[in-house]
Amino acid sequence: MKCPLEAKRNEVLLAYGSRKLDAGDSQLLEGHLESCPACRDFVQAQRAVWDALDVWQPAPVSADFDRRLYQRIDGQESWFDRVMRPFQQFGLRHAVPIAASAAVVLVAGLLIQRTPAPLPTPQHDTAQMETLQPEQVVRALDEMEALSQLSRPVRADKADSKM
Amino acid sequence: MEQRVNRDVGAGVTDLDPDVELMLRVRDGDSASFGVLLDKHRLPVVHFLYRMIQNHAVAEELAQEVFLRVYRSRATYEPTAKFTTWLFRIATHLALNSLRDGKHERMEERLDDTSGDMPVRQVADGRPSVEQSMVYQARLDEVRRAVAALPEKQRAAVLMHKYREMEYTQIAKVLDCSESAVKSLLFRAYETLRARLAHMA
Repeated sequence: MKCPLEAKRNEVLLAYGSRKLDAGDSQLLEGHLESCPACRDFVQAQRAVWDALDVWQPAPVSADFDRRLYQRIDGQESWFDRVMRPFQQFGLRHAVPIAASAAVVLVAGLLIQRTPAPLPTPQHDTAQMETLQPEQVVRALDEMEALSQLSRPVRADKADSKM
Repeated sequence: MEQRVNRDVGAGVTDLDPDVELMLRVRDGDSASFGVLLDKHRLPVVHFLYRMIQNHAVAEELAQEVFLRVYRSRATYEPTAKFTTWLFRIATHLALNSLRDGKHERMEERLDDTSGDMPVRQVADGRPSVEQSMVYQARLDEVRRAVAALPEKQRAAVLMHKYREMEYTQIAKVLDCSESAVKSLLFRAYETLRARLAHMA
C-alpha cells in the first residue's frame, strides 16, 4: 500500500522531528508511523542525525573577543564619527544639521571679524611713501597673517572631505 | 523614540523583535545597546561560523567582522527583517566568501584540528574514562566530516535549521533564495546526513 505521505514525507516528518507539528497532527502522524515502515525508518534515521549533531559542541569564545572587536571599532572610527560623538545624545539624524549650522555660524563670524579695511592708494612721492610705509606694512602684514589663519581650517576641511 | 520607531517601521518587525529595537537605539547613538546585542549573539554567530569553516581562529575573526559591519552600518540601519536574519546573512556571506577564497588550510587539516571543539571533560557527566573520550572523539570526527562534506549552501541551511531552529522562510531570506529552494537544500542535506550518520543511533 502506497504511503499517503510519500510526496511530502520530508517536510512533514522533519517538522514532526523538530516538534513543530501541533499536538493533533503529531498524534495522527504517530498513528501512521505504527503502520508505515518507510516513514518509521525515516523518523528513526533523522533522530539519529539530530542526536549526532547535538554531540558537536564548539569551544567557548575567546576571553579577549570583545576587547579585540572594540579595538577594531575604535581603530576604524572615522573623523566624522569623532566629530559627531558629542552630538549623539541628540540622535544622529539631528546631529548633522546642528553641526552644519554651527560650522556655518563659526565661519561667518570669522569672516566678518577678519574683513580687511581697504588699503590706502599707494603714493608715487618717495618722501610721503617713506612716511606712510611702515604703518601700511604693519597693517598689510597683520592682514596677511589673519588671512592665512582663516585659510588653515578651510584647507583641513577640504583634506578631511577626501577621506 | 516610540513614534519614530512606529513611523519608520510599522508595527510588525519591532513589535515582535526586541533586537530590532536595540539596533534602532544603536542607530541613535546608544552604544550600550550594541553591547547588549553583542552579548546575546556573540556565541551563536561564532559557533555558526565555526561549524561552517571548522577553524576556530578564522571563525572568531569572521565573527568580529560580522559585528564590525553591524556597527559600521548603524547610521543607515533600516529594519526590513528580523535582526537575526540580517546578522546571519552577513555571517553566511562572509563564511561562503572565506570558503571559496580557499585562503585557509585544506579541509583535512581543519578536521584534524580539534581545538575548536568543546573538550570531552566538559561534555560528559563526571570524569570521562579514556574509552568514553575516544568514543566521543570518534563520533565528533564523523559528524564534522559529514557536515564538512555537504555543499556550502546545504551546510549553511542545515546549521541554521538545526542549531538556530530557523524557519524555512527566515533561512530563505538569509540565503536570498525561495522557500522551496531552502526546502530542497535541507531535504538533500539531511538525506546525505542520514546516509552517513544514521548508524550512530
